Amino acid sequence: MKQLKQQLRAMLLRTLAMSYKELMHILRDKQMLGFALVMPVMLILLFGFAVSFDVERVPLVLVDQDHTPASRALADAFTASRTFEVVAQTEQPAEAERMFRSGAAKVALVVPAGFAKASLHDSEAVAQLLVDGADNTTASVALGYANAVALASSQRSFAAAMGRAEPPIDARVRTFFNPGLKSSVFLVPGLMVMVLSMMAVMLTALTVAREYERGSMEQLFATPVGRLEVMLGKLGPYFVIGEVQVLLVLTLGVGIFDVPVQGSVALVFAVSSVFLLAMLMQGMFISVMTRNQMLASQIAAITTFLPSLLLSGFIFPIDSMPPPLRVLASILPPRYLVHGLRAVLLRGVGFADVVRDMAPMLAFFLVLLALAARKFRREVA
Amino acid sequence: MSAAPAIEARALAKRFGTNRAVDALDFAVQAGELYGLVGPDGAGKTTTLRLLAGLVTADGGEVHLQGQPTGKRSAAVREAIGYMPQQYSLYGDLSIEENLSFFGKLFGLNRADYRERERRLLEVTRLGPFRDRRADALSGGMYKKLALACALLHRPRVLLLDEPTNGVDPVSRRELWDLLYEFVHDGMAVVLATPYMDEASRCHRVGLLHHGRKIAEGEPAALVRNFPHSTFAIEAADRDAALAMLQQRPEVIALSPQGAGLRVVVSGAEHAAFTSWAALVGGLQLAAVAPDFEDVFLGLEALADASSGVA
Repeated sequence: MKQLKQQLRAMLLRTLAMSYKELMHILRDKQMLGFALVMPVMLILLFGFAVSFDVERVPLVLVDQDHTPASRALADAFTASRTFEVVAQTEQPAEAERMFRSGAAKVALVVPAGFAKASLHDSEAVAQLLVDGADNTTASVALGYANAVALASSQRSFAAAMGRAEPPIDARVRTFFNPGLKSSVFLVPGLMVMVLSMMAVMLTALTVAREYERGSMEQLFATPVGRLEVMLGKLGPYFVIGEVQVLLVLTLGVGIFDVPVQGSVALVFAVSSVFLLAMLMQGMFISVMTRNQMLASQIAAITTFLPSLLLSGFIFPIDSMPPPLRVLASILPPRYLVHGLRAVLLRGVGFADVVRDMAPMLAFFLVLLALAARKFRREVA
Repeated sequence: MSAAPAIEARALAKRFGTNRAVDALDFAVQAGELYGLVGPDGAGKTTTLRLLAGLVTADGGEVHLQGQPTGKRSAAVREAIGYMPQQYSLYGDLSIEENLSFFGKLFGLNRADYRERERRLLEVTRLGPFRDRRADALSGGMYKKLALACALLHRPRVLLLDEPTNGVDPVSRRELWDLLYEFVHDGMAVVLATPYMDEASRCHRVGLLHHGRKIAEGEPAALVRNFPHSTFAIEAADRDAALAMLQQRPEVIALSPQGAGLRVVVSGAEHAAFTSWAALVGGLQLAAVAPDFEDVFLGLEALADASSGVA
């Protein structure tokens, strides 16, 4: 019993020695440290501002041939929100088509002469909305919006005709947790995945390979240090860097992109930490397998960028993927972090609800740790 | 000798693909003995040392420490052995002191022990004034002394050195050797790999390695004394022509340039035949000289080549 305690103490001391040494490497390598701290900020600013799924200020050309209060009211209904912006007014539909071709406008609202008259009498009032289908996202948003406007004005005139103030059925959609359906709010958890996975895997992917390339592995293996101690010791300082990155991303997300923090901040860190461990171990595993920094960094880039972008549910819903991809996505940690973070940040859930996200990430870490320890031979040459 | 050897290789073997890097190698080194593994590049010296240090798994044979097979007891091996690889294997971005302290911690030294040993090692290696200098800013000699210090921190009973004076200036080389003799005097067993004959001749005993096999073993002086072949220094007006002629002679075992002339090792049994042939040819000035360690090595190596060619 006493002997076991002594052994554990020795293991811990050797692990700490590895961590301290690795920390020295990091602190001496200003470029790497700068990379690790500046990159997350760059990524989140870049993605946060550039990647937006909110459709705003779609250029609209108004072809008003009616010139009545009714036609203006219809035009106002379209331009009331920030979704559309009137870039030109004309009476010629041909002009609208020209603007489509040149890209100056993406939507055209055509109100033919006699629109007001038709809507006052019981005949059908027809206004035409032309949409540039080449831009798929804009087109679908414009169509949805147009339907809503048309429905609302029909309801109004219907109600007026029936002599009631309210339409008989009033369907109201309320979106929970992200009422404005603002994309930056759900982007930030996705960005956390991108930043943490790319940085963590890249940093640790180099670390073991570097020892082989430098030749220091030979000296290291001549000491009593164990493989597990080498790996866990090396993880230490990178884990700390990762936590700093979580803090950076979270601060920027809350400060610039108004991400709400409905749940506890501690839980945000807890979920992120488990993900971080999984990613650091993925890098370590790559490093142990390749023993070559160049190859390791390439594999690290490929195995993090695509899963965190495509298989995390960050952009594309996993449920609508073909089965093989769904299986892959449920093995890899990114989707669990995105899910867990959204749950804590936006829905404010507690620990019990994110355990289901933390457990698979922890399992991923442990499996890779075991595999890496198996493949990490105490041998040179 | 009654005491078990400090370290012993028994029928040690390692192959990489079809290449037998180490082949049925036996040797034993006593405490207080400096043993040289001597051979050209590719003879299997580094692999042998790595096998002894447990950094490479043997395909056959065993390593014994103090008479006990090491087997799977890797912890015992690491406690007993200090290993200094040939290549640069310390951390260049860490200072002398940080490198030492790192390896001290890995060997589980407590603070007081570490301080004492560090002080002593920096003193004997005279690295003290440079303790804050980064390892990659050290000269070749200083770097090797630091590597030696790192390998000695845990007071190993056996020290394995792979070409320790490679890339070291002559003055530092002398210093390193003086250090080694001190440690050996204090009872350490040292196994040193070297391709240099002058260094080999400073070992207590040497094993000559050739294609992973031991082709001779003994005290360097005894190997020279018991060498059954003759050595000649040859001067010739046309060295290239002389070289071409000598290469054809069956009596010539080994041939190497020496200054403006040549140095040949001639089979002892054919000493007379060779001198009479040389007299007949003319134009060659022969001088019989005492073989030195290099002649012995080149001769034995050439003979081993010839016999393996026949086999």
